[in-house]
Amino acid sequence: MIIIGEKINATRKAVKPMILERRETELIELAQNQADAGAAYIDINVGTGTGGREDEVEAIRWAVTTVKAAVAKPICVDSADARVLAAGLAACDGHDAMINSVKADPDYLAEVLPIAARHDVPVICLAMDLEGIPKDVAGRLAACQTIADAAGAHGVPEAHLYFDPLVLPIAADATQAKVTLDTLAAVKDRFPAAKTVMGLSNVSYGLPARAQLNAAFLAMALYAGLDAAIMDPMDSTMRAAALTGTALMGRDRHFRKYSRAFRNA
Amino acid sequence: MNQTELIEKINFNIIQGRMTAEDEGFDEGLEGQPAVTELIEQAVEAGIDAKIIVLDGLTGAMETVGAKFDKGEYLIPDMLASAECVGAAMDILAPLLADAGVESKGKFVLATVAGDLHDIGKNIVAIMLKGAGFEVLDLGNDVTTGRIVEAVKANNAQFLGLSALLTTTMREMGVVIKALEESGLRDQVRVLIGGAPTSEAFAAEIGADAHCRDAFHAIDLLRQMAA
Repeated sequence: MIIIGEKINATRKAVKPMILERRETELIELAQNQADAGAAYIDINVGTGTGGREDEVEAIRWAVTTVKAAVAKPICVDSADARVLAAGLAACDGHDAMINSVKADPDYLAEVLPIAARHDVPVICLAMDLEGIPKDVAGRLAACQTIADAAGAHGVPEAHLYFDPLVLPIAADATQAKVTLDTLAAVKDRFPAAKTVMGLSNVSYGLPARAQLNAAFLAMALYAGLDAAIMDPMDSTMRAAALTGTALMGRDRHFRKYSRAFRNA
Repeated sequence: MNQTELIEKINFNIIQGRMTAEDEGFDEGLEGQPAVTELIEQAVEAGIDAKIIVLDGLTGAMETVGAKFDKGEYLIPDMLASAECVGAAMDILAPLLADAGVESKGKFVLATVAGDLHDIGKNIVAIMLKGAGFEVLDLGNDVTTGRIVEAVKANNAQFLGLSALLTTTMREMGVVIKALEESGLRDQVRVLIGGAPTSEAFAAEIGADAHCRDAFHAIDLLRQMAA
């Protein structure tokens, strides 16, 4: 399973000043720690909620340039603003990258997909549209189809699409975890070349012992067809769930990763 | 790379359990480096004697793997990965050995007895035996006594390996040995048995020649028999 390290996100209290004050050493350390813990991509989101668009464009340039010079991992440029994405990708300048994210919004797709095509990078595609997150599988699949069609039109290959089925807190609606899992399976069925990705922790919002819900959900999602997760790679419970789920799915040849993690446990 | 280096690399990669370049090894970070298949091909191209590759590259490596497995350092998948490497190496080397007139150490018929579907252990034994230079005829699992006796006879086999993983099916091994006796084949073939419920005492009871704790023990016993 591909782990996208989620920790460099300016909405987190510890990260916000790191971005605003350009604390280079701390930023590199946070990226390196995630890489060491098994992250295949380092997500970077500099949206601090303060300052304007120009500040964010400057911030993403700085953060991407800083991380790519120090850590040999692809960068997942994370923003809801096409200009920030464009600036982040430009700063990557050939360094492997990914775009996080687009949704089924025709105008936004028309802005972002050409960037993805130009830089030849994968795109995370949220299974939602302008109305929000559809409550059922058919609605989410329709959103994915809209994105896939637009991607085709803009020359982004299906193999570069990472569909995120999205997950709503089950505390408010107990059927939602299954809707997500069924969407995963449906996406895999309809877009066989595409990959799937998810940020899982939302599922347990509002419930106690969230770690164990998240871990079980990750294992189930792997069965349903999850390829990648946006998560904290240092979270040992989640890492264990990823390793065990991948091993149980027969996707860890000779149990190398599983054994390496646990043989002396 | 000279011959010594190449053989050392083959040895190392068998211990690491890396069959092809993209494989991970027991240790981290070896992906992308040439592994057993590529190295064996290089060795063959360089004109290194297939027999030397087997003796110096393969056999020694599997002894190391066996020792690590005995110590608990290696787990079943680690051992399987290494055994798979030996199997892949032998697929390339066996025809060359035959061409060079190197005789096999003997024909070895292998089977899980009637009523028993377990074959993981037997399959490991098969790979290890191939790596050790035996000509292996694996009959599979749930093999009737009649088929086993027939195979021993038809191939003029010197060795027969019987596996059973159930207390209910291990008795079938005794039936096979009786049938060999009745067919007048018992004297031409050494019968080795193995499987979780079996023991040295059980082997003695049914008249088998040896009881093997695991694949490595089997190789050890065979070496002693040859000596």
